[in-house]
Amino acid sequence: MKKSLVFLVLIVLTAGLLAGCAGQKADSVLDKIKTAGKVVVGTSADYPPYEYVDEAGKFTGFDIDLMTEIARRMGVELVWTDMPFDSLVAAVQEGKIDMSISCFNYTEERDAQVDFSDAYYTSEDAFLVAETFAGAIADPLEVAQYKIGVQSGTVQDDWVTTELVDAGLMPESQLSRYERVDQAALDLQSGRIDVLVADSVPAQAIMKQFGNLKIVYEGMLYTGPINIVLPDGDATLQAEVNRIIKELQDEGFIDSLALQYFSE
Amino acid sequence: MDFGRFIQFIASGTAYTLGVTLIALPSGLLIGLVLAFVAVYGGKLIGKFMDVYSTVLRGIPPIVLLFILYFVMSGTVNLSPFWAGSISLGIISSAYQMEIFRGAILSVSGEQMMAARAVGMSKMQAIRYVVLPQMIRLAIPSWSNEAAIVIKDSSLVYAIGVPEILRRAQLISASTQEPFLAYITAALIYFTLVFITNRVLGRVERKLTIPANP
Amino acid sequence: MSKPILTVKQLTKRYGSNTIFENIDLTVNEGDTIVIIGPSGTGKSTLLRCLNLLTKPDGGQIWLDELEITAKGTDEDHVRQHIGMVFQNFLLFNHLTALENVKLGLVRVKHMPEKEAETKALEELTRVGLADRAGHYPGQLSGGQQQRVGIARALAMDPRVMLFDEPTSALDPELIGEVLEVMRKLALDGMTMVVVTHEMGFAREVADRIVFMEKGSIVEEGSPDDLFYHPKYDRTREFLWKITELYGKKEAQT
Repeated sequence: MKKSLVFLVLIVLTAGLLAGCAGQKADSVLDKIKTAGKVVVGTSADYPPYEYVDEAGKFTGFDIDLMTEIARRMGVELVWTDMPFDSLVAAVQEGKIDMSISCFNYTEERDAQVDFSDAYYTSEDAFLVAETFAGAIADPLEVAQYKIGVQSGTVQDDWVTTELVDAGLMPESQLSRYERVDQAALDLQSGRIDVLVADSVPAQAIMKQFGNLKIVYEGMLYTGPINIVLPDGDATLQAEVNRIIKELQDEGFIDSLALQYFSE
Repeated sequence: MDFGRFIQFIASGTAYTLGVTLIALPSGLLIGLVLAFVAVYGGKLIGKFMDVYSTVLRGIPPIVLLFILYFVMSGTVNLSPFWAGSISLGIISSAYQMEIFRGAILSVSGEQMMAARAVGMSKMQAIRYVVLPQMIRLAIPSWSNEAAIVIKDSSLVYAIGVPEILRRAQLISASTQEPFLAYITAALIYFTLVFITNRVLGRVERKLTIPANP
Repeated sequence: MSKPILTVKQLTKRYGSNTIFENIDLTVNEGDTIVIIGPSGTGKSTLLRCLNLLTKPDGGQIWLDELEITAKGTDEDHVRQHIGMVFQNFLLFNHLTALENVKLGLVRVKHMPEKEAETKALEELTRVGLADRAGHYPGQLSGGQQQRVGIARALAMDPRVMLFDEPTSALDPELIGEVLEVMRKLALDGMTMVVVTHEMGFAREVADRIVFMEKGSIVEEGSPDDLFYHPKYDRTREFLWKITELYGKKEAQT
């Protein structure tokens, strides 16, 4: 009798919680931003050179500088919120942040919960290996024979999981997911994994910093463009952000940023 | 690379860590203490509710509860990550603290309560003047363990975006590609906080010890 | 003819399907010292705990002076102020000194001002011969000393009657004497007392009446002389002399 009472209480509580969070529709986040005079942007500042911290502890990087300019053109103050990458989409969905820039690729699953801006830059993916790596990879699917590392929640994670593991080309046990790329790079160095599949820009940065790694493959495995993540269903905000992105692209602003952060 | 400034950056997260701890621990104490007395003296039905509260909150990993309370409940009440995190940790700690105090109350033998009633004290008076003072002394060792746990668990709020020690260490690790340095720094700071806390509480325990002949 | 302080009529106590005692009648007059004896487990302690309502009886009535304390709506806490109890395991408040132990009831229950309470508490400690240990904690006192503090604590409330639940059973033999001495003096001073004990020497010397209980009922009651030398039942004689045999050596010492 007591056990079923406990069970019932739990069911009711859970139902109440779930009901409370069903369908949080943001109506005109743009208005809210303009009224408040500030935009709250989420990022995961652990992904150089897109977003990271400098010596003074300030956020810096390609995405950071780009968003700073976007906010300036929106005429509002920019407030950064940093959190682990995995938490960002939920944060936009729940309205904890107004939008997020963090080297996001478009995926259908993410699109179900949030909206995307137009692509502001197109990136490629790379296979990073130790210098002593002897294999050669002509076709990206050939990487399935090695122990692979990815940053969890990224499109590279998606690609490996869908194209290799789910397709039966590689057992799940061969895949290691990391919270961050630098963790994965350490394991790459020690030989715990053979190949790190990541966005090519951070891959380049890691390669430079570690010194004993090399890239054996580069290309667009997934859709290469990166986008800003926006709240679901807010057409006006999306239009405004896209407008500014187009402006910046036309002016060459984005190209000069790329040069600054991505060149060797 | 200026390590000094990086270490400074990590260390400045201490203010957030302390903030979270100093909200979570006392609120856990208040709730846990009251619930413990209610559980022991409140009768069978109430005792059962307390059991559910305690079992559920202690049966789920704190980080999961943190996410539930922060993301799932944000539809109803809008809290900053700092407050959501601190309050959540406080609620979680209250369940553990309730058990600590409940055990301590039960260890003060029921006979002490009987002796107090025999002198004419009401139940409330007996609890206040006889059970509580003895119970506190019994609870201190376990409680000081819980305090250390809350300090360490405060690092969990990194996941919802509070810029405390751990999150800063992660950022520095990514920026400098020097994870060892970054995390050792974080570890040393946490260790120092826990060490100091244990020392202070050890002093308190000694001060409160009732004299007895060996 | 002294008046009754405690009157017990048809008192019954059960635990589940077990009957501890049934239909007990007892009268304790002012100034009486009643000693209850009997084999262990016959419900003597339970009976004592019913007298100050620490245990709820299942049937029967108890009067303290004119007040029926078993009646519905009785303020039990208030009643217990007037009935003192001394426990087998002393049960001193471990976190308080001897003086504070005695003082606590005065300050918190009787709402006596600090100074007055302190003076009174010291008086009671002196009465049991422990004024010099006032600042000691229970952990620093011997068993006999702890029990005497326990007696002082109960006396401080100026009770109408004192209940003693096997007060010396947990004491080392050398320490029993000091406690019995305090009790003897108390009885001589005219305190109304109900004592459950195995100390036959004390019973013979100090009791006004001895009540022999066995298997949940009173087998016999009467003056010490009656029970020891003219018992009505064989069982009484058996028990008394057996116990005296066991405790006889101690008698010779005290």
